[in-house]
Amino acid sequence: MRRLVTLLLLWATAALAQPEAPLVARLSQDRVEVSTTFDGASILVFGSTAQPIGPGGAEILIVTTGPQQPFTVRRKIRVLGMWFNGPAARFAAVPAFYSVAGTLPAWRLLPEALRSQYHLGLDVLPMASTGARAPQFRAALLSLKQEAGLWQEDSAPVEIGANRLFHSRLPLPATIPAGEYTVRVLLVESRRVVAEQVQRFVVERVGTAATIADVSRGQPLLYGVICVALAALAGWLGSIVFRRS
Amino acid sequence: MQVYLPIAEMSVDAFLLVGIGFGVGWLSGLFGVGGGFLLTPALLLLGIPAPVAVASGANQVLGASTSGVIAQSRRGNVDWVMGVVLVAGGLFGSLIGIQLFAFLRGAGLVDAVVSIFYVVVLGSVGSLMVMESVRAILRRRADAPARLHQHFWMHGLPFKIRFRKSRLFISVVPPLLVGAGIGLLSAIMGVGGGFMLVPAMIYLLGIPTAVVIGTSLFQVVCVTSAVTIMSAWQLGSVDIVLTLLLLLGGVSGAQFGAQMGGRLRGEETRALLGLLVLSVAAMLFWGLIDTPDHMFTLGPG
Repeated sequence: MRRLVTLLLLWATAALAQPEAPLVARLSQDRVEVSTTFDGASILVFGSTAQPIGPGGAEILIVTTGPQQPFTVRRKIRVLGMWFNGPAARFAAVPAFYSVAGTLPAWRLLPEALRSQYHLGLDVLPMASTGARAPQFRAALLSLKQEAGLWQEDSAPVEIGANRLFHSRLPLPATIPAGEYTVRVLLVESRRVVAEQVQRFVVERVGTAATIADVSRGQPLLYGVICVALAALAGWLGSIVFRRS
Repeated sequence: MQVYLPIAEMSVDAFLLVGIGFGVGWLSGLFGVGGGFLLTPALLLLGIPAPVAVASGANQVLGASTSGVIAQSRRGNVDWVMGVVLVAGGLFGSLIGIQLFAFLRGAGLVDAVVSIFYVVVLGSVGSLMVMESVRAILRRRADAPARLHQHFWMHGLPFKIRFRKSRLFISVVPPLLVGAGIGLLSAIMGVGGGFMLVPAMIYLLGIPTAVVIGTSLFQVVCVTSAVTIMSAWQLGSVDIVLTLLLLLGGVSGAQFGAQMGGRLRGEETRALLGLLVLSVAAMLFWGLIDTPDHMFTLGPG
Protein backbone atom coordinates (compact mmCIF):
# COMPACT_ATOMS: atom_id res chain seq x y z
CA MET A 1 0.00 0.00 0.00
CA ARG A 2 2.84 2.38 0.84
CA ARG A 3 4.45 1.62 -2.52
CA LEU A 4 1.18 2.45 -4.23
CA VAL A 5 0.91 5.80 -2.46
CA THR A 6 4.51 6.63 -3.38
CA LEU A 7 3.89 5.81 -7.02
CA LEU A 8 0.73 7.88 -7.09
CA LEU A 9 2.48 10.84 -5.49
CA LEU A 10 5.27 10.61 -8.04
CA TRP A 11 2.67 10.63 -10.75
CA ALA A 12 0.82 13.53 -9.28
CA THR A 13 3.95 15.66 -9.51
CA ALA A 14 4.77 14.35 -13.00
CA ALA A 15 1.25 15.08 -14.18
CA LEU A 16 1.36 18.61 -12.81
CA ALA A 17 4.67 19.16 -14.60
CA GLN A 18 3.21 18.26 -18.03
CA PRO A 19 -0.41 19.37 -18.05
CA GLU A 20 -0.67 19.19 -21.85
CA ALA A 21 -0.96 15.35 -22.09
CA PRO A 22 -4.66 14.38 -21.91
CA LEU A 23 -3.84 10.89 -20.58
CA VAL A 24 -0.67 9.34 -19.14
CA ALA A 25 -0.58 5.71 -18.04
CA ARG A 26 2.15 3.43 -16.73
CA LEU A 27 2.61 -0.08 -15.31
CA SER A 28 4.33 -0.93 -12.03
CA GLN A 29 6.52 -3.43 -13.92
CA ASP A 30 7.10 -4.46 -17.51
CA ARG A 31 8.26 -8.01 -16.74
CA VAL A 32 6.68 -10.81 -14.73
CA GLU A 33 8.98 -13.72 -13.98
CA VAL A 34 7.39 -17.13 -13.57
CA SER A 35 9.83 -19.18 -11.51
CA THR A 36 9.53 -22.67 -10.00
CA THR A 37 7.79 -21.27 -6.91
CA PHE A 38 5.54 -18.71 -8.70
CA ASP A 39 1.99 -18.67 -7.36
CA GLY A 40 0.48 -15.59 -8.95
CA ALA A 41 1.30 -11.88 -9.00
CA SER A 42 -0.37 -8.58 -9.72
CA ILE A 43 0.50 -5.54 -11.78
CA LEU A 44 -0.51 -1.99 -10.94
CA VAL A 45 -1.85 0.10 -13.82
CA PHE A 46 -1.84 3.78 -12.91
CA GLY A 47 -1.74 7.22 -14.44
CA SER A 48 -3.23 10.65 -14.63
CA THR A 49 -5.44 12.77 -16.86
CA ALA A 50 -5.48 16.44 -17.79
CA GLN A 51 -9.23 16.77 -17.21
CA PRO A 52 -11.12 15.68 -14.11
CA ILE A 53 -12.30 12.08 -14.03
CA GLY A 54 -15.00 10.39 -12.04
CA PRO A 55 -18.65 11.37 -11.47
CA GLY A 56 -19.54 14.27 -13.75
CA GLY A 57 -16.25 14.08 -15.65
CA ALA A 58 -14.51 11.67 -18.01
CA GLU A 59 -14.11 7.94 -17.29
CA ILE A 60 -11.24 5.44 -17.59
CA LEU A 61 -11.33 1.98 -19.18
CA ILE A 62 -8.44 -0.51 -19.03
CA VAL A 63 -8.31 -3.58 -21.24
CA THR A 64 -5.48 -6.14 -21.01
CA THR A 65 -4.94 -8.84 -23.60
CA GLY A 66 -2.48 -11.76 -23.42
CA PRO A 67 -1.06 -13.89 -26.23
CA GLN A 68 -3.55 -15.41 -28.68
CA GLN A 69 -3.81 -19.20 -28.37
CA PRO A 70 -5.97 -21.98 -29.76
CA PHE A 71 -8.33 -23.80 -27.39
CA THR A 72 -10.68 -26.74 -27.76
CA VAL A 73 -13.88 -27.06 -25.73
CA ARG A 74 -15.33 -30.57 -25.50
CA ARG A 75 -18.70 -31.67 -24.22
CA LYS A 76 -19.00 -34.87 -22.21
CA ILE A 77 -21.35 -37.51 -23.52
CA ARG A 78 -22.49 -40.78 -22.01
CA VAL A 79 -21.71 -43.98 -23.89
CA LEU A 80 -22.52 -47.38 -22.34
CA GLY A 81 -22.86 -45.69 -18.94
CA MET A 82 -19.40 -44.12 -19.13
CA TRP A 83 -18.52 -40.47 -19.72
CA PHE A 84 -16.39 -39.54 -22.72
CA ASN A 85 -15.38 -36.28 -24.35
CA GLY A 86 -17.72 -35.94 -27.29
CA PRO A 87 -18.41 -33.05 -29.70
CA ALA A 88 -15.73 -30.37 -29.76
CA ALA A 89 -15.50 -26.73 -30.82
CA ARG A 90 -12.08 -25.34 -31.66
CA PHE A 91 -11.37 -21.67 -31.04
CA ALA A 92 -8.35 -20.98 -33.23
CA ALA A 93 -7.23 -17.69 -31.66
CA VAL A 94 -8.59 -16.33 -28.41
CA PRO A 95 -6.57 -14.42 -25.80
CA ALA A 96 -5.02 -16.74 -23.22
CA PHE A 97 -5.52 -13.87 -20.76
CA TYR A 98 -8.07 -11.07 -20.92
CA SER A 99 -9.17 -8.44 -18.45
CA VAL A 100 -11.38 -5.40 -18.74
CA ALA A 101 -12.02 -2.90 -15.94
CA GLY A 102 -13.18 0.69 -15.71
CA THR A 103 -14.29 3.44 -13.42
CA LEU A 104 -17.71 2.26 -14.62
CA PRO A 105 -18.59 -0.89 -16.62
CA ALA A 106 -17.75 -0.44 -20.31
CA TRP A 107 -21.35 -1.05 -21.48
CA ARG A 108 -22.48 2.05 -19.56
CA LEU A 109 -19.83 4.26 -21.16
CA LEU A 110 -19.61 3.36 -24.84
CA PRO A 111 -21.95 2.27 -27.66
CA GLU A 112 -21.63 -1.36 -28.73
CA ALA A 113 -19.86 -0.50 -32.00
CA LEU A 114 -17.00 1.15 -30.11
CA ARG A 115 -16.89 -1.62 -27.52
CA SER A 116 -16.50 -4.15 -30.33
CA GLN A 117 -13.76 -2.08 -31.96
CA TYR A 118 -11.72 -1.95 -28.72
CA HIS A 119 -12.75 -5.46 -27.51
CA LEU A 120 -14.24 -3.99 -24.34
CA GLY A 121 -16.24 -6.75 -22.69
CA LEU A 122 -16.38 -10.52 -22.81
CA ASP A 123 -19.61 -10.32 -24.83
CA VAL A 124 -17.85 -8.53 -27.70
CA LEU A 125 -14.63 -10.57 -27.64
CA PRO A 126 -14.11 -12.13 -31.09
CA MET A 127 -14.34 -15.93 -30.63
CA ALA A 128 -14.46 -17.55 -34.05
CA SER A 129 -14.80 -21.32 -33.79
CA THR A 130 -14.88 -24.40 -35.97
CA GLY A 131 -16.54 -27.72 -35.19
CA ALA A 132 -19.59 -27.98 -32.95
CA ARG A 133 -21.85 -24.97 -33.47
CA ALA A 134 -24.06 -24.87 -30.37
CA PRO A 135 -23.80 -21.60 -28.37
CA GLN A 136 -23.15 -23.61 -25.18
CA PHE A 137 -19.54 -24.14 -26.29
CA ARG A 138 -18.89 -20.42 -26.33
CA ALA A 139 -20.60 -20.06 -22.96
CA ALA A 140 -18.51 -22.95 -21.58
CA LEU A 141 -15.28 -21.33 -22.78
CA LEU A 142 -16.32 -18.07 -21.10
CA SER A 143 -17.18 -19.69 -17.78
CA LEU A 144 -14.15 -22.05 -17.67
CA LYS A 145 -11.78 -19.18 -18.46
CA GLN A 146 -13.40 -16.94 -15.85
CA GLU A 147 -13.28 -19.70 -13.23
CA ALA A 148 -9.55 -20.06 -13.89
CA GLY A 149 -9.13 -16.31 -13.34
CA LEU A 150 -7.72 -15.98 -16.86
CA TRP A 151 -10.60 -13.90 -18.19
CA GLN A 152 -11.79 -11.10 -15.94
CA GLU A 153 -14.56 -8.56 -16.45
CA ASP A 154 -14.96 -5.76 -13.90
CA SER A 155 -13.51 -7.92 -11.13
CA ALA A 156 -12.43 -4.71 -9.38
CA PRO A 157 -13.22 -1.11 -10.45
CA VAL A 158 -10.54 1.36 -11.49
CA GLU A 159 -10.04 3.63 -8.50
CA ILE A 160 -9.88 7.40 -8.75
CA GLY A 161 -7.73 9.57 -6.51
CA ALA A 162 -7.61 13.36 -6.31
CA ASN A 163 -9.81 13.86 -9.39
CA ARG A 164 -7.05 13.33 -11.98
CA LEU A 165 -5.28 10.16 -10.82
CA PHE A 166 -6.41 6.60 -11.38
CA HIS A 167 -5.05 3.17 -10.52
CA SER A 168 -6.12 -0.44 -10.91
CA ARG A 169 -4.63 -3.70 -9.75
CA LEU A 170 -4.43 -6.43 -12.38
CA PRO A 171 -4.32 -9.89 -10.73
CA LEU A 172 -2.33 -12.53 -12.65
CA PRO A 173 -3.11 -16.14 -11.57
CA ALA A 174 -0.44 -18.85 -11.10
CA THR A 175 -1.41 -20.40 -14.44
CA ILE A 176 -0.65 -17.20 -16.40
CA PRO A 177 0.74 -18.18 -19.81
CA ALA A 178 4.07 -16.79 -20.98
CA GLY A 179 4.05 -14.20 -23.72
CA GLU A 180 3.47 -10.53 -24.54
CA TYR A 181 0.65 -8.63 -22.88
CA THR A 182 -0.90 -5.37 -24.04
CA VAL A 183 -2.54 -2.94 -21.61
CA ARG A 184 -4.72 -0.34 -23.35
CA VAL A 185 -5.93 2.57 -21.24
CA LEU A 186 -8.79 4.65 -22.69
CA LEU A 187 -10.09 8.03 -21.63
CA VAL A 188 -13.83 8.16 -22.36
CA GLU A 189 -16.09 11.19 -22.48
CA SER A 190 -19.64 11.58 -23.85
CA ARG A 191 -19.67 8.04 -25.27
CA ARG A 192 -16.46 8.64 -27.24
CA VAL A 193 -12.82 7.63 -26.76
CA VAL A 194 -10.93 10.90 -26.43
CA ALA A 195 -7.43 9.61 -25.59
CA GLU A 196 -5.61 6.28 -25.57
CA GLN A 197 -2.36 4.95 -24.13
CA VAL A 198 -0.86 1.52 -24.80
CA GLN A 199 1.61 -0.17 -22.44
CA ARG A 200 3.13 -3.63 -22.71
CA PHE A 201 4.53 -6.19 -20.32
CA VAL A 202 6.10 -9.61 -20.79
CA VAL A 203 5.46 -12.81 -18.83
CA GLU A 204 8.57 -14.96 -18.91
CA ARG A 205 9.40 -18.37 -17.53
CA VAL A 206 12.73 -18.28 -15.69
CA GLY A 207 14.94 -20.70 -13.77
CA THR A 208 15.24 -24.48 -13.86
CA ALA A 209 11.60 -25.08 -14.81
CA ALA A 210 11.96 -22.84 -17.87
CA THR A 211 15.19 -24.57 -18.92
CA ILE A 212 13.55 -28.01 -18.61
CA ALA A 213 10.51 -26.91 -20.61
CA ASP A 214 12.75 -25.35 -23.29
CA VAL A 215 14.94 -28.46 -23.68
CA SER A 216 11.87 -30.72 -23.81
CA ARG A 217 10.40 -28.62 -26.62
CA GLY A 218 13.58 -27.78 -28.54
CA GLN A 219 15.47 -31.09 -28.21
CA PRO A 220 12.78 -33.69 -27.39
CA LEU A 221 14.90 -36.72 -28.30
CA LEU A 222 17.89 -35.54 -26.25
CA TYR A 223 15.51 -34.67 -23.40
CA GLY A 224 14.06 -38.22 -23.47
CA VAL A 225 17.54 -39.75 -23.28
CA ILE A 226 18.42 -37.44 -20.36
CA CYS A 227 15.22 -38.49 -18.53
CA VAL A 228 16.17 -42.16 -18.94
CA ALA A 229 19.72 -41.55 -17.69
CA LEU A 230 18.63 -39.39 -14.73
CA ALA A 231 15.91 -41.83 -13.61
CA ALA A 232 18.28 -44.81 -13.86
CA LEU A 233 21.01 -42.94 -11.98
CA ALA A 234 18.62 -41.72 -9.28
CA GLY A 235 17.13 -45.20 -8.84
CA TRP A 236 20.54 -46.82 -8.60
CA LEU A 237 21.95 -44.20 -6.19
CA GLY A 238 18.79 -44.32 -4.09
CA SER A 239 18.98 -48.09 -3.69
CA ILE A 240 22.52 -47.69 -2.33
CA VAL A 241 21.68 -44.81 0.02
CA PHE A 242 18.51 -46.40 1.41
CA ARG A 243 19.78 -50.01 1.48
CA ARG A 244 18.56 -51.68 4.63
CA SER A 245 20.36 -54.92 5.35
CA MET B 1 6.45 -26.71 -0.29
CA GLN B 2 4.91 -26.01 -3.69
CA VAL B 3 7.00 -26.99 -6.68
CA TYR B 4 6.19 -26.11 -10.29
CA LEU B 5 6.17 -29.11 -12.64
CA PRO B 6 7.51 -27.71 -15.93
CA ILE B 7 5.84 -30.21 -18.28
CA ALA B 8 2.59 -30.81 -16.38
CA GLU B 9 2.47 -26.97 -16.09
CA MET B 10 1.05 -26.97 -12.58
CA SER B 11 2.15 -26.47 -9.00
CA VAL B 12 2.03 -29.44 -6.62
CA ASP B 13 3.19 -29.95 -3.05
CA ALA B 14 6.65 -31.59 -3.30
CA PHE B 15 6.22 -33.46 0.01
CA LEU B 16 2.93 -34.92 -1.21
CA LEU B 17 4.69 -36.31 -4.30
CA VAL B 18 7.55 -37.78 -2.25
CA GLY B 19 4.91 -39.23 0.10
CA ILE B 20 2.98 -40.85 -2.75
CA GLY B 21 6.27 -42.22 -4.08
CA PHE B 22 7.08 -43.62 -0.64
CA GLY B 23 3.66 -45.23 -0.19
CA VAL B 24 3.69 -46.84 -3.62
CA GLY B 25 7.33 -47.88 -3.17
CA TRP B 26 6.52 -49.43 0.21
CA LEU B 27 3.65 -51.44 -1.27
CA SER B 28 5.74 -52.48 -4.26
CA GLY B 29 8.57 -53.61 -2.00
CA LEU B 30 6.08 -55.47 0.20
CA PHE B 31 4.50 -57.32 -2.73
CA GLY B 32 7.57 -57.51 -4.98
CA VAL B 33 5.99 -55.64 -7.90
CA GLY B 34 7.04 -52.50 -9.75
CA GLY B 35 4.15 -50.36 -8.54
CA GLY B 36 3.47 -48.46 -11.78
CA PHE B 37 -0.15 -49.61 -11.72
CA LEU B 38 -0.62 -47.83 -8.37
CA LEU B 39 1.47 -44.79 -9.19
CA THR B 40 -0.18 -43.64 -12.42
CA PRO B 41 -3.74 -43.76 -10.95
CA ALA B 42 -2.49 -41.84 -7.88
CA LEU B 43 -1.12 -39.14 -10.19
CA LEU B 44 -4.38 -39.03 -12.14
CA LEU B 45 -6.32 -38.54 -8.88
CA LEU B 46 -3.96 -35.66 -8.02
CA GLY B 47 -5.05 -33.93 -11.22
CA ILE B 48 -1.87 -34.47 -13.24
CA PRO B 49 -2.84 -34.59 -16.95
CA ALA B 50 -3.11 -38.20 -18.16
CA PRO B 51 -0.30 -38.03 -20.78
CA VAL B 52 2.15 -36.64 -18.18
CA ALA B 53 1.02 -39.12 -15.50
CA VAL B 54 1.52 -42.06 -17.88
CA ALA B 55 4.89 -41.00 -19.34
CA SER B 56 6.38 -39.89 -16.01
CA GLY B 57 5.01 -43.07 -14.39
CA ALA B 58 6.87 -45.18 -16.95
CA ASN B 59 10.00 -43.11 -16.35
CA GLN B 60 9.68 -43.65 -12.57
CA VAL B 61 9.28 -47.43 -13.00
CA LEU B 62 12.48 -47.40 -15.06
CA GLY B 63 14.36 -45.74 -12.22
CA ALA B 64 12.83 -47.99 -9.56
CA SER B 65 13.77 -51.18 -11.49
CA THR B 66 17.37 -50.25 -12.38
CA SER B 67 19.04 -51.45 -9.20
CA GLY B 68 17.04 -54.69 -9.32
CA VAL B 69 18.21 -55.61 -12.80
CA ILE B 70 21.84 -54.84 -11.86
CA ALA B 71 21.61 -57.09 -8.79
CA GLN B 72 19.87 -59.90 -10.69
CA SER B 73 22.34 -59.88 -13.57
CA ARG B 74 25.26 -60.05 -11.10
CA ARG B 75 23.71 -63.21 -9.68
CA GLY B 76 23.30 -64.59 -13.21
CA ASN B 77 19.50 -64.63 -13.00
CA VAL B 78 18.83 -63.00 -16.39
CA ASP B 79 18.13 -65.11 -19.48
CA TRP B 80 19.55 -62.65 -22.01
CA VAL B 81 18.25 -64.49 -25.08
CA MET B 82 14.73 -64.59 -23.67
CA GLY B 83 15.18 -60.98 -22.54
CA VAL B 84 16.12 -59.80 -26.03
CA VAL B 85 13.11 -61.61 -27.58
CA LEU B 86 10.75 -60.09 -25.00
CA VAL B 87 12.28 -56.62 -25.49
CA ALA B 88 11.97 -56.88 -29.28
CA GLY B 89 8.26 -57.59 -28.87
CA GLY B 90 8.05 -54.87 -26.21
CA LEU B 91 9.57 -52.21 -28.48
CA PHE B 92 7.05 -53.03 -31.19
CA GLY B 93 4.15 -52.97 -28.73
CA SER B 94 5.18 -49.69 -27.13
CA LEU B 95 5.64 -48.05 -30.55
CA ILE B 96 2.06 -49.00 -31.42
CA GLY B 97 0.94 -47.82 -27.97
CA ILE B 98 2.52 -44.37 -28.39
CA GLN B 99 0.88 -43.93 -31.82
CA LEU B 100 -2.48 -44.92 -30.33
CA PHE B 101 -1.88 -42.49 -27.46
CA ALA B 102 -1.07 -39.62 -29.85
CA PHE B 103 -4.24 -40.33 -31.82
CA LEU B 104 -6.38 -40.47 -28.66
CA ARG B 105 -4.92 -37.21 -27.39
CA GLY B 106 -5.92 -35.50 -30.63
CA ALA B 107 -9.47 -36.83 -30.16
CA GLY B 108 -9.60 -35.76 -26.50
CA LEU B 109 -10.15 -39.34 -25.35
CA VAL B 110 -6.90 -40.02 -23.47
CA ASP B 111 -8.33 -39.78 -19.94
CA ALA B 112 -11.27 -42.07 -20.59
CA VAL B 113 -9.28 -44.69 -22.54
CA VAL B 114 -6.44 -44.79 -19.96
CA SER B 115 -9.08 -45.37 -17.26
CA ILE B 116 -10.78 -48.10 -19.30
CA PHE B 117 -7.44 -49.87 -19.84
CA TYR B 118 -6.84 -49.75 -16.09
CA VAL B 119 -10.31 -51.01 -15.22
CA VAL B 120 -10.14 -53.92 -17.68
CA VAL B 121 -6.53 -54.96 -17.03
CA LEU B 122 -6.51 -54.46 -13.26
CA GLY B 123 -10.01 -55.87 -12.91
CA SER B 124 -9.11 -59.13 -14.63
CA VAL B 125 -5.61 -59.45 -13.15
CA GLY B 126 -6.93 -58.67 -9.66
CA SER B 127 -9.74 -61.24 -9.94
CA LEU B 128 -7.32 -63.90 -11.22
CA MET B 129 -4.88 -63.17 -8.38
CA VAL B 130 -7.55 -63.41 -5.71
CA MET B 131 -9.05 -66.60 -7.17
CA GLU B 132 -5.67 -68.23 -7.71
CA SER B 133 -4.41 -67.44 -4.23
CA VAL B 134 -7.64 -68.53 -2.54
CA ARG B 135 -7.42 -71.81 -4.48
CA ALA B 136 -3.77 -72.16 -3.44
CA ILE B 137 -4.63 -71.55 0.21
CA LEU B 138 -7.39 -74.17 0.01
CA ARG B 139 -5.08 -76.60 -1.81
CA ARG B 140 -2.46 -76.12 0.88
CA ARG B 141 -5.06 -77.11 3.47
CA ALA B 142 -6.10 -80.12 1.34
CA ASP B 143 -2.42 -80.97 0.79
CA ALA B 144 -2.87 -81.76 -2.90
CA PRO B 145 0.11 -81.61 -5.28
CA ALA B 146 0.18 -78.90 -7.96
CA ARG B 147 0.99 -79.58 -11.61
CA LEU B 148 4.00 -77.66 -12.82
CA HIS B 149 4.26 -77.87 -16.59
CA GLN B 150 1.68 -78.61 -19.23
CA HIS B 151 1.89 -79.08 -22.98
CA PHE B 152 -0.68 -77.33 -25.17
CA TRP B 153 -1.17 -75.73 -28.64
CA MET B 154 1.57 -73.17 -28.05
CA HIS B 155 4.27 -75.80 -28.30
CA GLY B 156 3.37 -76.58 -31.91
CA LEU B 157 4.36 -73.13 -33.24
CA PRO B 158 7.38 -72.70 -35.62
CA PHE B 159 10.64 -70.63 -35.23
CA LYS B 160 11.80 -72.60 -32.23
CA ILE B 161 15.01 -71.55 -30.55
CA ARG B 162 16.85 -72.77 -27.51
CA PHE B 163 16.78 -70.64 -24.36
CA ARG B 164 19.64 -72.24 -22.42
CA LYS B 165 19.24 -70.41 -19.15
CA SER B 166 15.50 -71.09 -19.04
CA ARG B 167 16.08 -74.72 -20.16
CA LEU B 168 13.42 -74.23 -22.85
CA PHE B 169 13.19 -75.08 -26.55
CA ILE B 170 10.15 -73.15 -27.72
CA SER B 171 8.95 -70.95 -30.58
CA VAL B 172 9.89 -67.23 -30.39
CA VAL B 173 6.29 -66.30 -31.31
CA PRO B 174 4.75 -66.56 -27.80
CA PRO B 175 7.48 -64.53 -26.03
CA LEU B 176 7.32 -61.93 -28.84
CA LEU B 177 3.55 -61.63 -28.41
CA VAL B 178 3.83 -61.47 -24.61
CA GLY B 179 6.51 -58.77 -24.94
CA ALA B 180 4.41 -56.79 -27.43
CA GLY B 181 1.33 -56.95 -25.20
CA ILE B 182 3.28 -55.70 -22.18
CA GLY B 183 4.90 -52.98 -24.31
CA LEU B 184 1.47 -51.74 -25.43
CA LEU B 185 0.22 -51.62 -21.83
CA SER B 186 3.41 -49.89 -20.75
CA ALA B 187 2.92 -47.08 -23.27
CA ILE B 188 -0.78 -46.56 -22.51
CA MET B 189 -0.84 -47.18 -18.76
CA GLY B 190 2.62 -45.99 -17.71
CA VAL B 191 3.42 -49.29 -16.01
CA GLY B 192 6.35 -51.68 -16.26
CA GLY B 193 3.89 -54.53 -16.58
CA GLY B 194 5.70 -56.89 -14.21
CA PHE B 195 2.41 -57.87 -12.55
CA MET B 196 1.28 -59.40 -15.87
CA LEU B 197 4.67 -60.32 -17.31
CA VAL B 198 5.72 -62.51 -14.39
CA PRO B 199 2.61 -64.75 -14.44
CA ALA B 200 2.75 -64.91 -18.25
CA MET B 201 6.39 -66.01 -18.12
CA ILE B 202 5.72 -68.65 -15.47
CA TYR B 203 2.40 -70.11 -16.61
CA LEU B 204 2.37 -69.38 -20.35
CA LEU B 205 6.04 -69.67 -21.33
CA GLY B 206 7.10 -72.07 -18.58
CA ILE B 207 10.24 -70.12 -17.61
CA PRO B 208 11.81 -71.34 -14.33
CA THR B 209 11.02 -69.08 -11.36
CA ALA B 210 14.72 -68.48 -10.65
CA VAL B 211 15.27 -66.47 -13.85
CA VAL B 212 11.77 -64.95 -14.15
CA ILE B 213 12.36 -61.95 -11.88
CA GLY B 214 15.72 -60.95 -13.42
CA THR B 215 14.55 -61.43 -17.00
CA SER B 216 11.27 -59.58 -16.49
CA LEU B 217 13.12 -56.69 -14.79
CA PHE B 218 15.44 -56.53 -17.80
CA GLN B 219 12.42 -56.33 -20.12
CA VAL B 220 10.74 -53.70 -17.91
CA VAL B 221 13.85 -51.47 -17.82
CA CYS B 222 14.32 -51.66 -21.61
CA VAL B 223 10.66 -51.09 -22.49
CA THR B 224 10.08 -48.25 -20.00
CA SER B 225 13.25 -46.59 -21.37
CA ALA B 226 11.80 -46.83 -24.86
CA VAL B 227 8.41 -45.53 -23.66
CA THR B 228 10.14 -42.61 -21.90
CA ILE B 229 12.12 -41.63 -24.99
CA MET B 230 9.19 -42.02 -27.39
CA SER B 231 6.83 -40.10 -25.07
CA ALA B 232 9.35 -37.27 -24.72
CA TRP B 233 9.97 -37.21 -28.45
CA GLN B 234 6.48 -37.57 -29.85
CA LEU B 235 4.16 -36.41 -27.06
CA GLY B 236 6.45 -34.10 -25.03
CA SER B 237 4.87 -35.52 -21.88
CA VAL B 238 7.74 -36.66 -19.60
CA ASP B 239 8.09 -34.47 -16.50
CA ILE B 240 11.53 -35.18 -15.06
CA VAL B 241 10.87 -33.08 -11.91
CA LEU B 242 7.81 -35.23 -11.18
CA THR B 243 9.76 -38.44 -11.91
CA LEU B 244 12.66 -37.57 -9.61
CA LEU B 245 10.41 -36.53 -6.70
CA LEU B 246 8.47 -39.81 -7.00
CA LEU B 247 11.72 -41.79 -7.21
CA LEU B 248 13.07 -40.12 -4.08
CA GLY B 249 10.12 -41.49 -2.09
CA GLY B 250 9.79 -44.69 -4.09
CA VAL B 251 13.31 -46.03 -3.68
CA SER B 252 13.33 -45.48 0.10
CA GLY B 253 9.81 -46.88 0.50
CA ALA B 254 10.64 -50.03 -1.45
CA GLN B 255 13.46 -50.91 0.97
CA PHE B 256 11.13 -50.70 3.99
CA GLY B 257 8.42 -52.64 2.17
CA ALA B 258 10.80 -55.41 1.11
CA GLN B 259 11.94 -55.82 4.71
CA MET B 260 8.35 -56.34 5.84
CA GLY B 261 7.43 -58.47 2.84
CA GLY B 262 9.71 -61.28 3.98
CA ARG B 263 7.37 -61.95 6.92
CA LEU B 264 4.26 -62.56 4.78
CA ARG B 265 3.34 -65.92 3.25
CA GLY B 266 3.19 -66.18 -0.55
CA GLU B 267 -0.53 -66.95 -1.00
CA GLU B 268 -1.70 -64.39 1.53
CA THR B 269 0.53 -61.77 -0.08
CA ARG B 270 -0.95 -62.50 -3.51
CA ALA B 271 -4.51 -62.36 -2.17
CA LEU B 272 -3.82 -58.98 -0.55
CA LEU B 273 -2.17 -57.66 -3.72
CA GLY B 274 -5.16 -58.92 -5.74
CA LEU B 275 -7.56 -57.02 -3.46
CA LEU B 276 -5.43 -53.87 -3.77
CA VAL B 277 -5.43 -54.17 -7.56
CA LEU B 278 -9.21 -54.68 -7.56
CA SER B 279 -9.83 -51.62 -5.41
CA VAL B 280 -7.75 -49.41 -7.74
CA ALA B 281 -9.81 -50.75 -10.67
CA ALA B 282 -13.07 -50.06 -8.80
CA MET B 283 -11.99 -46.49 -8.00
CA LEU B 284 -11.16 -45.74 -11.65
CA PHE B 285 -14.39 -47.39 -12.80
CA TRP B 286 -16.34 -45.08 -10.49
CA GLY B 287 -14.52 -42.12 -12.08
CA LEU B 288 -15.76 -43.29 -15.49
CA ILE B 289 -19.44 -43.74 -14.60
CA ASP B 290 -19.89 -40.95 -12.04
CA THR B 291 -21.68 -37.93 -13.56
CA PRO B 292 -18.99 -35.24 -14.01
CA ASP B 293 -19.29 -31.87 -12.23
CA HIS B 294 -18.56 -30.01 -15.43
CA MET B 295 -20.14 -31.13 -18.68
CA PHE B 296 -17.55 -29.17 -20.68
CA THR B 297 -13.76 -29.41 -20.60
CA LEU B 298 -11.18 -26.94 -21.89
CA GLY B 299 -7.96 -28.08 -23.51
CA PRO B 300 -5.15 -26.50 -25.52
CA GLY B 301 -5.12 -26.76 -29.29
